[in-house]
Amino acid sequence: MERATLFALVTIIVVVYVFPYAFLVSTSLKPPADALAIPPTILPQRISLENYRNIATFPSVRQSFGNSLTIALLSTLITISLAVPAAYAVARFASLAGKIFLIAVLITRLIPPVSVGIPLFAIMRSLDLTDTHIGVALAHSTISVPLAIWLLASFMEGIPHELEEAARVDGCSRFGALFRIIIPVAAGGIAVTSVFVFLASWNEFLFALLLSSTSVKTAPIAIAEFRTQYGIQWGTMTSLSVLFSFPVIIFSLLMQKRIVAGMTMGAVKG
Amino acid sequence: MAVLLLPAGLFLTAFVAYPLFLLLRDSFYEVSIYAPTEGVFVGLDNYAKALTSSRVLESAQRTLNYTLIALSAEFVLGFGAALLFDALGKRSEVLRTIFAFPLMIPPIVAGLLWRFMLIDNIGIVNHLLETFGFIADSSDISWLGDRDLVLFSVALPNIWLTTSFVALVLYTGLQNIPAELIEAAKIDGASAWQRFRRVSVPLLRPVIAVVLIIRGIDAARAFDMIWIQTEGGPRFASEILSIHIYRNMIRYGNVGEASAIATLFMFSMVIISAIVFFSIWGRGTSQS
Repeated sequence: MERATLFALVTIIVVVYVFPYAFLVSTSLKPPADALAIPPTILPQRISLENYRNIATFPSVRQSFGNSLTIALLSTLITISLAVPAAYAVARFASLAGKIFLIAVLITRLIPPVSVGIPLFAIMRSLDLTDTHIGVALAHSTISVPLAIWLLASFMEGIPHELEEAARVDGCSRFGALFRIIIPVAAGGIAVTSVFVFLASWNEFLFALLLSSTSVKTAPIAIAEFRTQYGIQWGTMTSLSVLFSFPVIIFSLLMQKRIVAGMTMGAVKG
Repeated sequence: MAVLLLPAGLFLTAFVAYPLFLLLRDSFYEVSIYAPTEGVFVGLDNYAKALTSSRVLESAQRTLNYTLIALSAEFVLGFGAALLFDALGKRSEVLRTIFAFPLMIPPIVAGLLWRFMLIDNIGIVNHLLETFGFIADSSDISWLGDRDLVLFSVALPNIWLTTSFVALVLYTGLQNIPAELIEAAKIDGASAWQRFRRVSVPLLRPVIAVVLIIRGIDAARAFDMIWIQTEGGPRFASEILSIHIYRNMIRYGNVGEASAIATLFMFSMVIISAIVFFSIWGRGTSQS
């Protein structure tokens, strides 16, 4: 095929691809009433920040962003501290236990969240953890611990054995080697995994819906309920959606190459 | 080394394995969400009810249809994009970067955004279709209100978000095929289609298997994107299993029956994934 035809084809695909999000941002910058103008316009006729200012009139929505942040940070902390040692064990010691562990971890990917979510709700209630940050963070970690172990194990497999052996010869214990050699060397991998875990929690909907009734409602739930509570105010909805997805996009712009590599590698790994 | 696995192992036992045990146990009880401690053992009644309920069977069928719609669109479009990137070589880098963009968009935002774009009358999609002359009037297509169409419409944000994942994974797979093999086939006079069919596809088989399984599982488990668009409506027309289970549990409070359906759903997922995995991977002559 002609080079020019190829480029034209890809450009069309990309434009179609970027259009929906561009339209979201554009709508958020229109005056609120123009969100449902007849006929709809692609670009704002007049730039207005009123949709963004309107968010301030819903304190519960603002609070939900704080809840999401707390929960995502907690979940990242829990997941990384559990997954780093496990991934090290899986990557370094090709034992039966490690293999069984990896298969078990893989199977958790097959489980529909709604299946775990229902009984998890009962467990959190008996632990008095429903509607708490830690309860939702623990639930989110059930999704990300398996993912993090897979990702981290593949990062750690790339670290040469000689590094640890040298440390062991110098009298370093196995734990010492983990903390002094593996963790610093795998820091990049751990950072990328942390971003994934953070985003998984930030974006999660179903567990948050089941486990947060009032005080720790996360942003996705608040945005979803915003619709039913106040009728559909599409203008404010678009500005909220932009604000909610903004941290995600900043993150990914900062770490783009690594994130895409991690995502595709995670996939090929399982 | 067992010490290293222990914390994560305990965590997964307590918050994944134990819930699954509870799920299985509850599936044999008639138990209400309002009185969770007063269950009555009913044996296989919940399963019998689930398997004879037309609403459950219909949502199982819808789950299958939804998965097939999303998966086939993502796979065809994603494979096409991957081949384009491969043909462009190094110069595709910027395009690939743009293409990766939807991977970062939260599903809830994608669902809302498409709901907004698909509004009848004043939605941008119908407006553009009308402008370009595909439909006579912008109220001609009721994307989220038409029971025959809604399952396609709710798959749109899913396709939009994850085609790039399929494309990027397959592109990586294509990059890993040794150039000499393609060259050799070229010298032997194989056409582009033959090279694709006889060289690339067989070598990509393991990657294809993984992509199909991962994306298939994710589509079958979908909840948030559909919930935000239709909550399963109109009149259950987009109610797939995860939405049915959630509603049965939370709105109707039937913990026992919901648990039985969830258990069946889970085992079906494991069995179907295993069949797909072995039938694609097993027939392959290549190893990655």
